[in-house]
Amino acid sequence: MTATTRRERRGTIAGLILLLLAWEAAGQGGWVAGGALPAPSQIALRAWLDRGDYPAHILGTLRTATAGFVVGSLLAFVLGVAYTRWPRLQRAMSGVDVTIFAMPAIAIVPILIIALPGDAPRVVLSALSVYYPAMVAVVLGLRQADPRLLDLVRVHGGGAVAALRWVRLRGGLPTLLSGLRVAAPAAVLGSLLAEFGSGSSAGLGTYLIGSLGRADPARLWGIGLAATALSALAYLAVGLVAARFAGDTVPASTPVGTAAGQAAGEVRGWVARSMPLLAFLLPFALWEAGTWALRLTDVSEIVFRDPAGVLAHLIWDEGAARNRGDIAAALAQTLPFALAGVALGLAVAFALAIVSLLWPPLGATLLPLSLVTQSMPLVALTPLVVLIFGRDTGGILAITVSVTFFPAFVTIAQGLALVPPGLRDLISAWGGGRGIWLRRVAIPWATPYLCAALRLAAPRALLGVMIAEWLATGTGLGNLLNEARGRMDYGTIWSVAVVSVSVAVALHTAAASLERRVLRRFAFAS
Amino acid sequence: MGARDIRIDAVERRFARAGQAPLLALDRVSLDLPAGSFTALIGPSGCGKSTLLRLIAGLDAPDGGAVMVGGAAPRVLQREGRLGIAFQDAALLPWRTVTGNVRLPLDVTGHRDRESLARIADLVALVGLAGFEQALPAQLSGGMRQRVAIARALVTEPDVLLLDEPFGALDQILRRTMNAELQRIWMRRATTTLLVTHGIDEALFLADRVVVMHGPPGRIATIVDVPFARPRPLTLFADPAFRALEDEVAAALYGRVPGSAA
Ligand SMILES: Nc1ncnc2c1ncn2[C@@H]1O[C@H](COP(=O)(O)OP(=O)(O)O)[C@@H](O)[C@H]1O
Ligand SMILES: [Mg+2]
Repeated sequence: MTATTRRERRGTIAGLILLLLAWEAAGQGGWVAGGALPAPSQIALRAWLDRGDYPAHILGTLRTATAGFVVGSLLAFVLGVAYTRWPRLQRAMSGVDVTIFAMPAIAIVPILIIALPGDAPRVVLSALSVYYPAMVAVVLGLRQADPRLLDLVRVHGGGAVAALRWVRLRGGLPTLLSGLRVAAPAAVLGSLLAEFGSGSSAGLGTYLIGSLGRADPARLWGIGLAATALSALAYLAVGLVAARFAGDTVPASTPVGTAAGQAAGEVRGWVARSMPLLAFLLPFALWEAGTWALRLTDVSEIVFRDPAGVLAHLIWDEGAARNRGDIAAALAQTLPFALAGVALGLAVAFALAIVSLLWPPLGATLLPLSLVTQSMPLVALTPLVVLIFGRDTGGILAITVSVTFFPAFVTIAQGLALVPPGLRDLISAWGGGRGIWLRRVAIPWATPYLCAALRLAAPRALLGVMIAEWLATGTGLGNLLNEARGRMDYGTIWSVAVVSVSVAVALHTAAASLERRVLRRFAFAS
Repeated sequence: MGARDIRIDAVERRFARAGQAPLLALDRVSLDLPAGSFTALIGPSGCGKSTLLRLIAGLDAPDGGAVMVGGAAPRVLQREGRLGIAFQDAALLPWRTVTGNVRLPLDVTGHRDRESLARIADLVALVGLAGFEQALPAQLSGGMRQRVAIARALVTEPDVLLLDEPFGALDQILRRTMNAELQRIWMRRATTTLLVTHGIDEALFLADRVVVMHGPPGRIATIVDVPFARPRPLTLFADPAFRALEDEVAAALYGRVPGSAA
């Protein structure tokens, strides 16, 4: 057991060193995309020359990401506890939660920058990015308490508060911490994204955007790697705390069966029937309430749109037809890429996860690599991918595939790792070969995990496409948003945000309902 | 307040089943447990023993009939913190030591007076875990964990003690030892006790009365009175009168006529 893991680890390290050497050679030779891929040594040299710039930018990102992480985790904790206590509240809030999870963060960046002063947009976006994974982990951790221990508390006259205090909180801590660990890199990404178009503040996102025009690949790589290191450190730091409380066994991605943190407990009658409607309306109600709250501040009213305002922009305002046309055209550019990227990324992930079952060295190299890329901030990745694959179709597709492939591979590979080894022997004992085993066990087993990966990947793909469009290609929703920001066209800013968030929520909802059906089909659900 | 009586009056409990008629887990079960008595409940798996125990504990509510403890609803007993319970597997808090786990009921009820806290050490010693006070559950064997659960059930000096197959996971030798210890503990302080068990010998060794259940639908088949005087020695297991009673309970359980060939 230990011998094989040691050998595996040695294989992984050897693979990574090989990769690094190949990279150095490719960079020195200028083999990739006419020198768009600099050698590691060239990146290091550039970073050394830029060493005066880095501290302020790193500190700026670190400060706002940390603040966002704390705010987001606190919010997740409070709501997670409330959801555990009142499952109906979770149902009512499910629309808000899914919106926060699925929305392409970049879509609301201009709005946050309009509405909030100073560093607040960065803190808020990073808090929003942290909230959902952290909340799901809190609810999961608190709900998984041993039912007999809960009985024991009740038998001694303890209510919900006593159960929380003596059993649920401490018992859920490992799950909660592993959720926070996954959320930590998201905090960094949120902070970086909110620097888009904010201008002055110091941060790696600002530095990246400011360096885009200089066409210096080594600098872009340096910033990308610094951002990656930052979020990897955040992941490790929270992981260190988590390890102290053991139970360090929860997979780094959202496991199967926790589709969107489904609320437990049955609700019957008219309350149940009106729940979906309430869940649907609540995000709009909060939006409306938010605009009312902003009217009380001294921010100019012309920059805001409430739901009616967005409808006006798209339906009955003067020029509404043109507005609609712009957005529809942009959506027609963005959506195909997002969907193609998801399909391609998932297909490759599914195939490779199955292949690495038959040929373990592949998995031993790919899995750690995939885990590392999970903490890579998308923003930092995008310019690099575009540099290599070009500003057109290839670049965007490469981004969506990389954005969806790695997390999907992790989800599916970790799911397949749970196949009982005895099953394989059993099939052999019955005289079945690899083919039978693949068809009867591995593929059916991996299917629910594929669906979970789809649900997680679909919104991410949209975000990836929009970032690429904003930064590089000058097409689609991302570009429309960036342009509208430049023109101070508030109607379009709000409409693009609403449309892209709605599309992401629709994709997520479709994936989640497919997942539920598959889970039921494979009897994973209770 | 001392031990309380338990009155179970024509209790029914149904469980909904997807695509089938509801399962009748308890079918008009009536049973009186006098204050300070020791009753054993025995029956095949799925006959509703745990369901009945959960109703008495106030963890579940009947669909028909009533359960009264000391003339009041079980919830009253809960609220007063006068109930002790142990399940088939120990269900300990993995992050608390032996002492901490035994202390849990005191934390929940808030009865953390000096006298109650002092009882923890006594109980830990009583169940034979002296020297293991600071051990975590993961460091204990299954039998030791189960003894922690017994100590925990007793720490509030409950008026009613409910034990659901507490020795089910133990080996025969340890089981006998635990039977003797439970008798000793029980005799120190009269507590109305209900013990669910699969062991006929264990039931006869400990109880005043053995209630045999059949089901589903769960109902009481026979009640066998146990005449032996206390304290009962471990040699009782070999006593011919004891053996005869064992056959009688077995017959009620398996539907065989006493004395007939197997
Ligand atoms: N919460 C529940 N939901 C549905 N069915 C239950 C539930 N609890 C018990 N049952 C059913 O009621 C019957 C009696 O269960 P139980 O009281 O646990 O039996 P015993 O403890 O005698 O083995 C069983 O058929 C069991 O499946
Ligand atoms: Mg039972």
